[in-house]
Parts: sequence; structure tokens; C-alpha cells
Amino acid sequence: MQQQNLVGSFVSHATSHPGDPALVWHGEETTYRELHRLAERERVRIARLAPGEDEPIGILAAKSPSAIALVLACLLEGRRFLLLPAPTPEGRTPHALVEQAGIRHVLSPESPQAPGPGPGASDRPAEPKAPRRTEPADVSFMFTTSGSTGRPKIVPLSTGAVDRFTTWAGERFGIRRGTTVLNYAPLTFDLCLLDIWTTLKYGGRVVLVDPARATHPGHLLDLVSRHAVQLVQAVPMFYRLLVDAATESGRRLDTVEHVVFTGDSMPARCLAEFPQLFTGARFYNVYGCTETNDSFLHEVDGTEPADGPVPIGRPLPGVHAVIVGADGGILTGPGTGELQVTTPFQTDGYLDREQDADTFATHHHDGETRRYFRSGDLVRRDRDGRITLEGRNDHQVKVRGVRVNTHEVEQVLLDHPDVVEAAVVAVPDPVAGRLLRSVVRRAPDSRLNSLALRRHCAQRLPLTAVPSALLIVDDPLPRTSTGKIDRRPVERACSPSQPNEGTAT
Amino acid sequence: MKHAAVVTQFIIEEFLPDVGANELDSDYDLVDGGVIDSLGLLKTIAWLEDRFDLRVEEIDLDLDPDSFRSVGSISRFIERAQQHRTDSH
Repeated sequence: MQQQNLVGSFVSHATSHPGDPALVWHGEETTYRELHRLAERERVRIARLAPGEDEPIGILAAKSPSAIALVLACLLEGRRFLLLPAPTPEGRTPHALVEQAGIRHVLSPESPQAPGPGPGASDRPAEPKAPRRTEPADVSFMFTTSGSTGRPKIVPLSTGAVDRFTTWAGERFGIRRGTTVLNYAPLTFDLCLLDIWTTLKYGGRVVLVDPARATHPGHLLDLVSRHAVQLVQAVPMFYRLLVDAATESGRRLDTVEHVVFTGDSMPARCLAEFPQLFTGARFYNVYGCTETNDSFLHEVDGTEPADGPVPIGRPLPGVHAVIVGADGGILTGPGTGELQVTTPFQTDGYLDREQDADTFATHHHDGETRRYFRSGDLVRRDRDGRITLEGRNDHQVKVRGVRVNTHEVEQVLLDHPDVVEAAVVAVPDPVAGRLLRSVVRRAPDSRLNSLALRRHCAQRLPLTAVPSALLIVDDPLPRTSTGKIDRRPVERACSPSQPNEGTAT
Repeated sequence: MKHAAVVTQFIIEEFLPDVGANELDSDYDLVDGGVIDSLGLLKTIAWLEDRFDLRVEEIDLDLDPDSFRSVGSISRFIERAQQHRTDSH
């Protein structure tokens, strides 16, 4: 496979077809020429503000064309950069991440209306320069993963890994000049490597969903149909919202050719509605992790079980996978174990090498020694070789596409001085897929309520990790015979059939 | 803010069932306080549309999340929406 460089291809498209639309945001188009110009301007600013070429840059990545231009500027400058969630109105920025990455400069995108590149710089529009030369091993994108508290992990990706991935994705889904792709995920998600970055590499057009409206089904249906979107990639929750709204209104999205769902398991009931909504599309279940990027793909062909999970399918070209059983041995036939994968797109390791120890493992398999990523996902391989997800082998769950460690959420709850015991479980939810629910025992005589406890959590956790339901009790939580908190009655207490949560009195 | 009491009652029943109505200030930031996330916002909008017979998207095309940050801002949103409807009739 010929590896084309992401930013090099973008620049050559901006030069050969400058008037092509690159982005759609709030109904307005940004052309390749405009996006390239914004990026060149940001490039000047980066060189001025953070001249050290090896210094990583932090990007406050609230979704907008300007933020995309800032990322392109880093790529043009050959700089590695960490995508950080936009700060809250209170100005809370993820200091721990910035510190861990050794970042001295955190940049927000410049407003496109800002007057020139600032004092001391030339007034002439920035002359486009060639992208700075990089080696395939040089890091470009840095994403963060897991660690709903404490120490999140930073995942650096090399330009070679990104180029290989975007080449695969472009070919697999036929992304070319004029292809319209929906981007649902926030910019801080690795999913953007497919829907935004592959599309910009190949001259397509990205329709950006504003995260502030990402749960409004009517808006999402309008965006897809008004802009004649051809490729959609999103977490199952997006499709559940769309299917529910479309069933009511009888709408069809007939421009869509490829529907990719990823990040969580797709309920069979929702998948069954796809052909009525996307009348001309092919459907794919894609499995991947931030560390390895996409690893498995299953194209829906009607042979899926009617009630079980959709299979994750087969490894992508160049991907190798093993299933490791409870005894640590590699399974050769049917069975259940942890999925470990190695991909041409994967990270060389976390930025903090100490975090590598438990998550990467070297195996000699099929005559080759390779470094595998331990996904933490339990999978089952049936007699036909088909692989399905069974769950996690630790405390991790997926809540709306984001990995959350329930153990860590419990630790945050326990950090509150009035909390004596805490249990957090993930329970199925018809809309969100899975939601966190928790039962907390407060200290005797404490007047702790859910208002104070939610605030405590919101200051220490991403919002997706703040439990949706908090039950505060005064009695001890049930324990198993070995003294651990018994989560099964907690799950029952939190089941949707008993929606009354709050202080049990 | 004539709708503050009914909004407070909804927020409490839906998200903070153990909290007394007098404990929730009308300017308390529900988003920063971890009370409503984007799904909570969706629930709130569905309730507004149902309870007050509004079409939220007709009124606030950008669906500014700041309109739904506190009991006070939600109440003001309802007033604006009702005003909008009176004006357009």
C-alpha cells in the first residue's frame, strides 16, 4: 500500500482544488483554500509562541473549523500535539495532562476574524510554506484514554501510523474528492482520524456535528439529509437516537452509502431498523481502541444472531490478534479470553512508559514475535472463527463510547469525607446504551445529599463518568462472603424498573 | 421567573430526588454541578416541549446550552418561548 502523507495530501488538494468545500459547520462551508489559509496563519502563531521545535503543543479542541485549522498547522509544522477537551466555563483545564505531557504552551484556536498574526509579524498574508519534513516515526497526534480519574494515559501516534490508518480508511470506504462524511465525535476522540482526517486527506467534505446539539435527533436527521452525507461513523447511541426519531416521522436517509458503528455494542433491535432508515447503505461494526486504532471489521450480512451481540468480524489487513485464556496461553480453537491485538496503526507505547507494563505483551505466534496491546476486552470465538465481545476483564465499562473505570469512580466517591461506602455499576439504558448508577452510604449524622455529591464528582470526573443515578443510604452496603461489596443487589436496586433513587429514608 | 417553582420540581424529581426544593438555588449551575449532562439536557428539553407545548428548536435554533444551565435560565427560556408564540400569533 502506497502511504500518502496526511498533511501533504491536504496541501496538494488545497492547491489543485482550492474552491472545494472542506468543512460544513453550522450550515456554513469552509473551502480547502480558506482552511489552508487559516492553518498557515496558525502556523505563524505557533512558530512565534512556541518556537521549540521538539516541544509538544496543547490544543484546546472545542470543535470548530478554527480548531481543525490549528491541528493542521501543527501537522504542517511537524509538531506533536495533545488534543485537550475545551475548558469548562469555570476555567477548569486538565492540568494533570498538560503536566504529564511536558506541555508549556496550550493554544486555543484563533478566531478567523482576528486581525492578522499580531504585533511584530508581517502584515502580508502568510505565504504558504511546504510542510516541514517529518520522519514516519515522529509523533503527531496525541490522544488521551481511559483513566476516568487519577492518571489518564496519553497515547502518542506516529505520523507513519496515522498515514497508514488514513490510507486504509480512505480505500476501505471509498473516501475521495467530493465524498461527504459526517463527523459526530468530539475532536479529542480518535474516531476523528477516520471521519475528519481521512476525509481531509482525500479531498472530501466533513459535516461537523456540534457537540452541544449531539443528542438532538431532529437536528441530526436534518444534517445528514440536508448535506447528503454518504459516510456516517458514530457510537451506537447516535443510531438509537436517529432510529427512534425516524421511526416516528417515517424519514429515510437514502444518500448514506456506508454506516459505521463503533465504540460500544450495538443492540440487535436497533440494527434491525437500519435498512428502513438507511435504504442504500452497507453497515459495518468496527472494533478498535485508542492505542491500536481500528483493528476488526464486520460487515453486516444478515447472518448475525437475532439477540446476541454483533460480531466484531475479522482483523483488518496487517492486523494480528490472539485470544489469551485465563491460564495465560494463546487459544487456538473456540473459547473465551482476552483479545490482544497488534496493528499497523498502533502507538509505540504510552507517553509515560511506566504505564506500558500491564497493557502491552509480547507473544511469539504464527512464527513471528510481536508486541500486542492487551485490550482488556473479553471475547468469544465460536467454531466458525467468528469473534464477539463478551465484556471487560476488569472494572472498565463503556458509557456512551467512553471507557470508564467503575472502580475509579468509586474511589472518587470515597474521597468525599462524608462517604463511607460506595458501589458503582453500569446498567443498560434504552437511550444511552449503558449508564452508571451508584449507591453510597454516608457517614452517621452526615447530611450529605446528591447535590453536593454530584458537584464533588463533576469537579473530579468527566461528565460521562458522573453516575446518572446516585442513591444515598444510611445502612451498610451488602457484602459477599469474602467481604467485598456485593454489586448484584446494587444492580437490582438500580434497575430501570425501580427508578426511584435518592435518599432512602 | 414565574416558572421557577415548576422547573425546580422537575429537576429535583428527575435528577436530585433526595434534595429539598429550598436547597436548589435558581442560579445553581446544573452542568458544572454534575446534575445534567447532554442526555439530561435532552430529557429536560423533552419535558419542556411536553409540559409547555413548545418546539424548542423553533425558538432557539442554536440550542445554546447556556439557556439550560440553571433553574433560572430555563425559566427565562420558557418565558421567552411563550412570548415568541404570542408574538407570532
